[in-house]
Amino acid sequence: MERITLALSKGRIFTETLPLLAAAGIVPQDDPETSRRLILETNRPEVRLLIVRATDVPTYVQYGAADLGIAGRDVLLEHGGQGLYQPLDLRIARCRLCVAVPEGFDYAAAVRLGSRIRVATKYLKTAKAHFAAKGVHVDLIKLYGSMELAPLVGLADAIVDLVSSGNTLRANRLVEVEEIMPISSRLIVNQAALKLKHALVQPVIDTFAETLHDQPDA
Amino acid sequence: MRWVLPDYLRDELPPAAEHLERLRRDLLDLFRLHGYQLVAPPLIEFLSSLIVGGEEDLRLRTFGLTDQLSGQTMGVRADITPQVARIDAHLLNRRGVTRLCYCGPVLHTLPASLTATREPLQLGAELYGHGGVEADIEIIRLLATALERARLPAVRIDVGHMGLFRALTEGMDHERAEALFELLQAKDSAGIENFLATTGAEIDEARAVSLCALPGLYGGIEVLSLARSRLAPLPAVVRALEELEALAETLADLPLGFDLADLRGYHYHTGVMFAAYGANHPSALALGGRYDGLGAAFGRARPATGFSIDLRELIARLPLAPLPGAILAPAVDDEALEAVVAQLREAGQAVVRELPGHPLEEWREAGCDRRLVQRAGQWVVEPL
Repeated sequence: MERITLALSKGRIFTETLPLLAAAGIVPQDDPETSRRLILETNRPEVRLLIVRATDVPTYVQYGAADLGIAGRDVLLEHGGQGLYQPLDLRIARCRLCVAVPEGFDYAAAVRLGSRIRVATKYLKTAKAHFAAKGVHVDLIKLYGSMELAPLVGLADAIVDLVSSGNTLRANRLVEVEEIMPISSRLIVNQAALKLKHALVQPVIDTFAETLHDQPDA
Repeated sequence: MRWVLPDYLRDELPPAAEHLERLRRDLLDLFRLHGYQLVAPPLIEFLSSLIVGGEEDLRLRTFGLTDQLSGQTMGVRADITPQVARIDAHLLNRRGVTRLCYCGPVLHTLPASLTATREPLQLGAELYGHGGVEADIEIIRLLATALERARLPAVRIDVGHMGLFRALTEGMDHERAEALFELLQAKDSAGIENFLATTGAEIDEARAVSLCALPGLYGGIEVLSLARSRLAPLPAVVRALEELEALAETLADLPLGFDLADLRGYHYHTGVMFAAYGANHPSALALGGRYDGLGAAFGRARPATGFSIDLRELIARLPLAPLPGAILAPAVDDEALEAVVAQLREAGQAVVRELPGHPLEEWREAGCDRRLVQRAGQWVVEPL
C-alpha cells in the first residue's frame, strides 16, 4: 500500500493543525502530549504523522523521510527551503519575528547607518539579512533558548526572537522595537512526493486550501 | 585522521567503481548508436567561458583559482553543458544539426542537495541546430532509453516550459524576476500574490493573474488545457503550450507529467524543460531542457537542447550485483598453463597470477573464487 507521511511538531502547531486534518478526514489515533510515540497512526491506514522538533521538519521533508510537513516561516527561512514546495500559508501558529531591547535602550541610535550592534538570536540568517538591509553591522550570538536573558546580563544589545503575547518580554523588562516579519506556518511538500504520490498528496493540499478559503482571514 | 575526506566527497570502491565504469561505457555506446559524437572538454578553463551571462547560481557553485601562466581566473567546471555549447558554437562551427555527448567529473563548491556529492560524474547528450519540438522529443526519448538501460527506468518525466515564465515576466527587471522565480520554484502561491501586490504596477493584470495560476498547473495532460484557459494568451504563451501539446502527443507512451512552474536547472534554459524521477527517490534522476542562445556567448547563437545525469547518484540508487570473481593461476612455469590463461582471458574471465608465499585465504580476500589446477595432465578450473 502506498502511504503518505506528514511531519509536524507537537504543541501549538499540532493543536492548530488538527481542525485542518479533520477537514481532510484525518484523525490521529494518539495524542502526542500524552503518548511517547513519535509515529502516530491515523484513522486512515495510508496516512501517518511524524512528531519531530519544529526545526527538523524541513529536513525530514527535504530528504523524503516525510512527504508533507508543517513548518513555521521562521524555521523555513533559516533552513533555506531548497528543494521544498511551499504551496499553502496555513495561517496557524501566528506570531511575529521582532527585535527587542532592554527598556531605556536607544535603539534608533544603535542602528544608525554604519553602526554596529550585538544581537543574540537563534535566527541567524534572518537577523543578518534584516540588519544588512538597514546598513548596520551586526555581531550575532547564536543562542538556543531564553534569548531574553542575553541583553539583561550584557551578552548582547538586542535580541531577535518570536513574540506572540509579549508577556515574556515584559516580565524581563524588554520592549519590542521593530517587527521584522509576521510569522505563520506553511504546508511544505517534498518535490518528488508531489509528483509520484500525487493521488494521495493532492487531496490533502486541496482540502487544506478549501478549508482555509472558507475561514475569514483573521 | 589522514584518511578523512572533505565533506561531500567520496571514494568509489569495488564493486561500485566497476559498475560506474560499465554504466559509463554502456550509456556512451547507446549515445553513439543514436549518432551522438563524444567530446571531452578540459576539467578547468577560464572562468569567463565557464560562466556566461548572469549565472549567479553556477558562479557560486564553481571553484576558482588563478592561472599562473596568464594571470587570469580559472574555474573548475561545475557543469559541462556550457563547454559543449562552446565546442558546438565556436570549434565545430557546423551549419546543420550537431549531436554531441560527454562524460566527465565536475566539481561543486556546494553540494546540490543534502545527499549529493560535490564531485558528480556528469554524463549528458546535447542536440544543436534544431529549434523545433522534434529535437526536444528526441532528447526526452533518449533520456528515457538511457535510464532504462541503467535499469532505473523513469516512473515519471515532468515537463515544463521556461518560455511561459519568460513571456509572463517580460520587461520586469532582473532582480524582481529572480525573486519571483524563487517563489515559483517553491510553488509559494501566497508569496507570489504578496509579491505582485506589494511591488506590482510594473506588470499588467493579465500577466499577474497568469503568474498566480502557474504554481497550480501541475499534474497530468489535463494541465495543458487548464493552462489554455488560465494563462494570458500572449503569443509566446500560446507557442509554448503548442510545443508541450505536440510533445505530449508524440511521447504518449512515456510516463509524462506536466509542471508548468517547475523550472529547475540553470538559468540559461529558454524552452521545454524536464526532470526524470525514479521510483521511491526523493529527488530527480536527470534534468534537462532547451537553452537556445547559450552559444551566442561564444560567437554563434544556436538552438540547443539536452540533458545530463549524475552517474554517481545513479549508481548509489542501483542495487549492485556482486562482480564475478577471478580465477587464480598458480605460479608455475608451464606452456600449457599459459595457453589456458590466455584462452580464459580472451573469453572475458579475470585470471590472477599467484605470487609466491601468500596463503589461499589471502587470494580469496583479493577476489578469487576459482583456481586452475592440473588434473591428469590437463589444466582445469575448480572452485577455490
